[in-house]
Amino acid sequence: MRTQRSLSVFPVSGLLAACCLALLPALTAQDPTPAQNPTPTPAAQPQNPEGATPPAAEGRRGGRARRAPVVIEAGTVHPVAGAPIENGVVVIRGDRIVAVGKKGEVEVPPNATVHSFPNGHVYPGLVDAATDAFTDDSLRNDGSNDGGSRFADDLRVQGNRNDALAAAGITTAYVTVRSPALVRGKGAIVRPTRDGFEAWSGKDAAALHLRITNGVGPSHALQRQQQVAQVDALFEGLEDFRKQLNDHEEAVKKYDKEFADYLAWHQKKKDGDKPAGGGGGGAAAPAGAGGPTGPGPAREGRPTRGRPGPGGEGGGGGGEPPKNDPQKTPQEQVSPEQLEQALATLLAALPQDPPKPAPAPAPGPQDPAKQDPQKPAEGAAGPAAAAEKKDEAPKRPTYPKAPPRDLQREALLAVIDGELPLRIEAHRADEVRGALKIGRDRQIPVLVLEQAFGADACAAEIATAGVSVVLTDTMAGPFEPPYEAMNPAKVPAKLHAAGVPFALASGRAHLAALLPLLAATAVGNGLPADAALRAITLTPAEILGIAQDTGSLQTGKFGDLVVTDRPLFATDSRILMVLAKGRTEFEAK
Amino acid sequence: MERLLPVRAGRAAPFVSFAACLCLLSPSRAQDIVVTAKKVVLATDAVLADGAFLIRQGKVAFAGTDIPTEARKKATVIDYGDAVIVPGFVLPPTTLGRDRDLAEASLPFTPDLRAIEAFDPWQEELAKLPAFGVTSLLLSPSPRNIAGGIGALVKPGQDNGVVATAEVHLALSLTQVARNPERPPTSLMGAVDMLRSAFTMAKAGTGGGPDVAVLRSALGGSRRIVIHADLHVELAAALDLAREFGFEPVLVGAREAEKVLPRIVAQKAALVLEPLRPEQRQAQLRLPTLLAEAGVPFCFGGRADQLRTSAVLAVRAGLDRKAALQALTRTPAQLFDQHTVVGSLRAGCGADFLVFTGDPLDLTSAHVATFIDGVRVFGEAGNAPKPHNAAAAAGAR
Repeated sequence: MRTQRSLSVFPVSGLLAACCLALLPALTAQDPTPAQNPTPTPAAQPQNPEGATPPAAEGRRGGRARRAPVVIEAGTVHPVAGAPIENGVVVIRGDRIVAVGKKGEVEVPPNATVHSFPNGHVYPGLVDAATDAFTDDSLRNDGSNDGGSRFADDLRVQGNRNDALAAAGITTAYVTVRSPALVRGKGAIVRPTRDGFEAWSGKDAAALHLRITNGVGPSHALQRQQQVAQVDALFEGLEDFRKQLNDHEEAVKKYDKEFADYLAWHQKKKDGDKPAGGGGGGAAAPAGAGGPTGPGPAREGRPTRGRPGPGGEGGGGGGEPPKNDPQKTPQEQVSPEQLEQALATLLAALPQDPPKPAPAPAPGPQDPAKQDPQKPAEGAAGPAAAAEKKDEAPKRPTYPKAPPRDLQREALLAVIDGELPLRIEAHRADEVRGALKIGRDRQIPVLVLEQAFGADACAAEIATAGVSVVLTDTMAGPFEPPYEAMNPAKVPAKLHAAGVPFALASGRAHLAALLPLLAATAVGNGLPADAALRAITLTPAEILGIAQDTGSLQTGKFGDLVVTDRPLFATDSRILMVLAKGRTEFEAK
Repeated sequence: MERLLPVRAGRAAPFVSFAACLCLLSPSRAQDIVVTAKKVVLATDAVLADGAFLIRQGKVAFAGTDIPTEARKKATVIDYGDAVIVPGFVLPPTTLGRDRDLAEASLPFTPDLRAIEAFDPWQEELAKLPAFGVTSLLLSPSPRNIAGGIGALVKPGQDNGVVATAEVHLALSLTQVARNPERPPTSLMGAVDMLRSAFTMAKAGTGGGPDVAVLRSALGGSRRIVIHADLHVELAAALDLAREFGFEPVLVGAREAEKVLPRIVAQKAALVLEPLRPEQRQAQLRLPTLLAEAGVPFCFGGRADQLRTSAVLAVRAGLDRKAALQALTRTPAQLFDQHTVVGSLRAGCGADFLVFTGDPLDLTSAHVATFIDGVRVFGEAGNAPKPHNAAAAAGAR
């Protein structure tokens, strides 16, 4: 007996024990035990006796263990959203930053893993607003893409330096390609990791790309005008397309209603044809109550199969409860009055026509399904005929034909509706102006210009239009004649002076490690250094619509940060550590 | 300094008027000039904080505390405030885009031809060089000939280019472009054989015309022998010839130098590297670091507008800043025995210098001005102690 009791108790206690074990790491991670107070270690050594990162801190994605809070101490913390902090601290719990401030003024969790860089610099994880990382040559050269194409569908890890974005300090990247297609498709936002990338949930189609240029090679002005017209023509007929979609949507709604009516009528008929037996529904039953088929007309007075007498409980209605006598047969339980009423009901039903099946819809002008239900059927002969058809079955509705699926137009509609940013590659000033005109004429809410090397000539117009710019190739120097006037390195300063929001991007994956140098080049050509830092962190995050999660070191944002041994823009600056969502994605050996 | 080519009034009119304007802005060349800045790099091993140097007759006469008090008092002072001054960049063998004029296409072996015969002092490319920090260059025969000829040291000027040294180096080539299918040699072995035959004749000291005489003189140490070679097989052939005939070559191009690095070190060869580009692979960007670690003298060649970027990329890939700056200034001058004339701001050298808002190897630093022979030929005048964006750049640190 004792054994049996133990066995019966074991499952419960075992379950409780398992739950406790599962919760233990979480409980200990939160537990502020004074004995575990950390002492900052010298120079980038994680805080533990072995000198190695503890497993909890290294918890990879998919792991169930909760990571210990991570604390980064550094000589200078550059939050971007505010002034640099000397002797700064960044505290990350889970995947978010919970505190940023000066050492001594920020509470450090007692069980935290502390990384200390006394001479180091901490920056937000870099945001590359344009890269072709994780794409291959076939995608980069695919001229057959269109607005329905999603780069996210063809991203892959190549295992070469084109994928080493995390080691370059890039924690967020927008993937696109410079294919020759006029409409290149939709770019994706990814989160580079040490061994590949993760898709940014909900941002796998983050913007639509158009190309309005043939590059910096020779081209005639008229040819460029034609290109602008070609791009503009993409927006022609969009409202008609929208109307088709809306009409179809309305038609589907109408169909749903008519089909429900149709089903209900037949259900009613079906139920009405059944022989009366039992009670149940009763005349007092409310509409739809107690019936198994959900929506539909009220089944007033309909007897329910197998239920005795009117007002039975199955009908859900009122009436006296049946007076059942288990010693009697069902026939003996029915009173004479009830039998008389049932007989009268049957007699009343006899003269009626049996329910007819709904006629199949026939093509041609006589198709009743296509006729307006408000109008009398064609060929009907006056009120008498109408009265004759009064109880005729409703016509089975035909499912409305959908307009042809056009993913590119759907994407363009999303652009016009502001649901999808539009990015146009335009190099020369006239191409940039063409893009601005399209944006203005088509009332595009979110327009971003890419590789706008000639943007300095029309910076004021760009600012007025409220358009953002993503610049690449700032290290390329002046182009060859006759386009030597376009110097990408000088454009950022002009845009900044005009108040245009702009991001500096690598453009190509193999330049990822040089992203800080691209910004440094802009500084050397007149851009203030804080604006350059913003152009590779917060501004691209804003342009990509993810600034609430990354781009600066602020409480509540992802724990994305880069630690360097020297100022980021120094040529010989080395990356010591990269955290993304608080996870270590790179650590210098 | 020798000025071999006079100014031709007709074509040079715009340059002359530009020069006149500059003369109005700049102190007279007859007057001493003292240039001051927060940091003056006379050479990579001689850096002055709050430094100064005195220019007399277009050359550096004194630097730092060596400047006589009396001379300093009388001199015109150009103050660049917080800026950094470094020697002007020396562009190693180049044709400045004039390949056709600097190669005799029908003859593969023309060691006695002189590059200065085809030097155009009003060439547009020459006028652009100061904007890229180049204050002198080694104009060289094209690598299209097995033995192209003799190169010269020239300088862009405030009005036109000038020749600083007429005969500097002997240019040879084993590259693909030298092996012309329309005339012998058409193969690498033919090219090597042609050079070996000529060197053998020169070394024997018998026979031969002016061309062999030039080779004989070069083997005797009168000038450096420069060999264009890119691939490892070309580099190996050049090193074979150098070992066979006992000279220390300067190898130009040397794309695959890493494959023959031990031999380069053993034979004390020097390298003129192709410009580094951002899109290159890390192994290529690391080559300067490897050379520096192995003690191989090297400098950056190719396009003038890529010189500074090449050095920056090399530093990014691990090269020491000092070695990188040396590769732009002192090393090319030294490789061609012109270090007493250009490549540093030591006394006696031409007053060729650049002004930056910070370290020239940081791209945050803006290039403010270029001086050649003490005359500003590009950028902003001095006495403007607020260098472009210096404060902002400092803020980034």
